[in-house]
Amino acid sequence: MDRRDFIKVAGGTLLAGASCAYAFRFLNDTFGVQAGEGVQLSGRRWGMVIDLTRCRSGCTTCMEACRVENNVGLHGDIRWDNHWIRKVKLKSKHAAGEAEKEVILLCNHCDKPPCAQVCPVQATYKRHDGIVIVDHHRCIGCRYCMIACPYNARQFNFVDTEDWLNKEHPKRSHGVAEACTLCAHRLDVGRIPACVEACCNVGAEALFVGDMNDPESEVSRLIATNAVKRIREDLGTEPKVHYIGL
Amino acid sequence: MDIVFERIDDQAAQLRRLMIAFGVLAMAGLLATWWVVEKGIWVTGMYTRVPWGLQIVMAVYYIGLSAGSLVISGLYGVFGKQEYKPFARIAVYVAMLFLIAGLLSILTDQGRLDRVFVEPFVHFNLQSMFSINPILYIGHILICVVYLWALFTERKKLTTVVATLAFGWAFCVHSGTGAIFGFGARMLYESPLLPASFVAAAMASGTALMILLIVGLFKATKRHVDDELIIWLGRFLAVCILVVVYFLALENAYRAYVVELREAAIYYLFDGFHGALFWFGLGIVGLFIPMFILFRRKTGTSIRWIVIASVLVVFGVLCERYVIVLPGLTHPAELFPGMTVVGSALEEGVVSYSVSIVEVLQALGVFGVIGFLFVFGLRVFKLLPTEARALNNQSSSESGP
Repeated sequence: MDRRDFIKVAGGTLLAGASCAYAFRFLNDTFGVQAGEGVQLSGRRWGMVIDLTRCRSGCTTCMEACRVENNVGLHGDIRWDNHWIRKVKLKSKHAAGEAEKEVILLCNHCDKPPCAQVCPVQATYKRHDGIVIVDHHRCIGCRYCMIACPYNARQFNFVDTEDWLNKEHPKRSHGVAEACTLCAHRLDVGRIPACVEACCNVGAEALFVGDMNDPESEVSRLIATNAVKRIREDLGTEPKVHYIGL
Repeated sequence: MDIVFERIDDQAAQLRRLMIAFGVLAMAGLLATWWVVEKGIWVTGMYTRVPWGLQIVMAVYYIGLSAGSLVISGLYGVFGKQEYKPFARIAVYVAMLFLIAGLLSILTDQGRLDRVFVEPFVHFNLQSMFSINPILYIGHILICVVYLWALFTERKKLTTVVATLAFGWAFCVHSGTGAIFGFGARMLYESPLLPASFVAAAMASGTALMILLIVGLFKATKRHVDDELIIWLGRFLAVCILVVVYFLALENAYRAYVVELREAAIYYLFDGFHGALFWFGLGIVGLFIPMFILFRRKTGTSIRWIVIASVLVVFGVLCERYVIVLPGLTHPAELFPGMTVVGSALEEGVVSYSVSIVEVLQALGVFGVIGFLFVFGLRVFKLLPTEARALNNQSSSESGP
């Protein structure tokens, strides 16, 4: 083997090896981490249970707490106001006499998040503990995640947020996407999310956040002992927000 | 027969005036974009429920228009139709410009323009069509540059290779652009037919645009072009329109047939401005009338009528791009089947969208940039032949490139 052949073989081997490594990483990222059935590296898999039977009609405590905690912008125009958590009022199309129902909506922190799949810069990603999060310093503001999210949970900072209610938490510049972070900054230091705390404070106790990998956690118990539903489970996104009484 | 290509030297004053006009448009677009960057995307009129607007419509439209090179490169470079060689340079140059226009439209639509030049290339995501497409677009622009170089330097073998590559690559480009929507989880987006339908509409609009450019440029610069060449392109355009009609019919028939999608199909076809745009702008004006013109022997062999048909197709495909992008956004995702949302902090249900003046200025700005580059190209590069004759009118013929 002369020097030229050696360089060819070595180069080819290196290229093939690098390609295999990249392909393995790509497949692992796609089908491994996002599959959700395995134990996450951190060991935790945060999920939420919303007990609609305990949620009080007209109460917006959770929304207000979220807004203050996370500096979520209100601009006085429904088109550009951001809501990381919101309430919708539903009416049955078929049963005329059926009472209206209020449902709390927020990011479902899907195990297979379409928003993360389409993000061209991987600014939206799923943490190892299952929380779907946006890196606001990387987001280019293409809004593809808003298109891909089937739950309308993605928000965009169309306007600069004036108020900075919680100085301990950053506010976002205009031009980047955002959504509920499940108050990851609080969970990381052992505190519960602001919406859950506020709901407990008013005595409703309709919101629960916990480790779905821990069979002893409150959320695991509620999921195991109630007929829980998730929104549009048929889409296969594996949402981690569970509803009692939906 | 040797084809002589020339710059446009004898109409320098007119070209200068055109460049100034396009420059003014480009400046207006630049100012509008600066306004958006400074104030936020809300000034464009887009909002939470309709996060994409005219810039995305124009981006996919421009990308589609670049398919003119796909046709010409296919005819000359791949299938060896020597008589279309005179149009090859201008087709490839225009394709390159429209790809740049597509990229510019996407760029100026981003919330954080300052990050667009770094982040997508540093944090590439193979699963995102938005990540794959810029690579396809930039790749196509580079292929066009090499293709142009091969054409300018008369490298026949390289021309064949690059033309074939451009032909295949363009299919990926247009399929990829269609896939942005086709692979989206919205009732009016999700369709594996969409990328194929996008390719067909791209070929129709690209061919129509090339017909307009060839006839217009040759007439304006007093050069001869044989009618047969344009008539053949007209026939090809007619076939492309037929394919577009077939895909549109199939896609909408499917939506109307599947119970789950029927309500969305009715909204798409019959509701509001986009419904009117679908039937009148796209259906009647953009497809039916051009088809009637092109398939009728008398009008299909008249250059004047072919030009009219081409204008209508170019307009019709713009309507098609609008109805691909917008109704899919204004129509709501069904979160609670069997339920109606009667109250929310967000706008739920069907919402509206109207094009804002800022978006129009941005779109005109992008058009101004490529218009300027187009005229600049005519002035600087030898893009146009002195004449274009059909094979049977040439004194001697050559085989393929």
